[in-house]
Amino acid sequence: MRIIKLNNQIKKRFIFLLIIFGCFSASIFLISYSLKDQIAYFVEPTDIKSMDGIENKYLRVGGLVKKDSLKFLDGNWVFEVVDQNQNSVNVVFSKTLPNLVEENKGIIVEGKFIDNIFVAEIVLAKHDENYMPQSAIDKLKEEGKWRGN
Amino acid sequence: MFAITPNILASFMNSLSRYIILLSLILISVSIFLIIFLENDYYQGISFKIMFIHVPTAWLSLAIFLVMGISSIVGLIFKSPTAFTVARSLSPIGLIMSIIVLVTGSIWGNLTWGAYWVWDARLTSMLILAFIYLGHILLLYSFEHFQKADFAASVLAIIGLVNLPIVKFSVDWWTTLHQESSVLRIGGPSMTNDYLITLLVSFFGIFMLTIYWFSNIFYIIVEKRKIERSKLLND
Repeated sequence: MRIIKLNNQIKKRFIFLLIIFGCFSASIFLISYSLKDQIAYFVEPTDIKSMDGIENKYLRVGGLVKKDSLKFLDGNWVFEVVDQNQNSVNVVFSKTLPNLVEENKGIIVEGKFIDNIFVAEIVLAKHDENYMPQSAIDKLKEEGKWRGN
Repeated sequence: MFAITPNILASFMNSLSRYIILLSLILISVSIFLIIFLENDYYQGISFKIMFIHVPTAWLSLAIFLVMGISSIVGLIFKSPTAFTVARSLSPIGLIMSIIVLVTGSIWGNLTWGAYWVWDARLTSMLILAFIYLGHILLLYSFEHFQKADFAASVLAIIGLVNLPIVKFSVDWWTTLHQESSVLRIGGPSMTNDYLITLLVSFFGIFMLTIYWFSNIFYIIVEKRKIERSKLLND
């Protein structure tokens, strides 16, 4: 008799916890789903094409620094940020770049569009998930498998 | 399973603890040796070596919370004192781990990104995890009776479980400054084998240290309660 009673209690507690946990995770899911655009840290150049009223709006754009586009002109860094769909954004930056900003490497620029040119106030280098020593790259280059610069 | 009282678990872990700490010290020494002689990353230079402490502690801070959450569920459903004591002794370790993750991560972030801290999804959810650990500890010590404290803290731990997939998958669900996972990813690890082996040795070293640390805290809590109980009986 006692065992049956205990099992009932355990079942009750289990269902109670399940309901609490389910409600809480559902609410977190709904919050994060409706705030999707706010949680995203940056937009890609492709997303900008479909956005309207971007002039003078403060935003972050992320992508790769386009190859052969990084130049130092009249005291400003000028480069293009490009994504996988080959859409790009022209960027001007007047301060010192972080050490690890290079062509064909990830970058995030923070600022606003003025006359279709992105005037960046903050530039961050975005590192990708690849880690390897120089010797491994030399080996890949020998085998002709290396796709970086 | 529920015949395991806190006393039995404490004495079992206590009998194994000397081997665990020995194994941990060996693994950590080997990993320090490996890290010193490892070739630098082609792009980041020497600063990538922060990874060998940042990634193991990050995995552990998530894993500890998972164990804490599961033992809180078991504790609440089956009223098991062992499960409650497991959760109670894990949260300080988890807090320290998540602080190490945040500090090493921001040092690496300044060297690589050019900023100590940004409010992207991964960094923010990790900070929330650290705050949940802190809240768990505060709840545990803000009640006079430890049964009440265990109940309140367990509810927090179970609710906090929702944060775990957010921390883990934030880099896949939203765009973040933090890079995607390099080891636990679809298509295999994106690092060379010498880095991966060093990372795993370092992880198991810190993991064993965590178990040793956990068994010590668990033992202390059990012994403290024994003393309190005998005091009550004597009064």
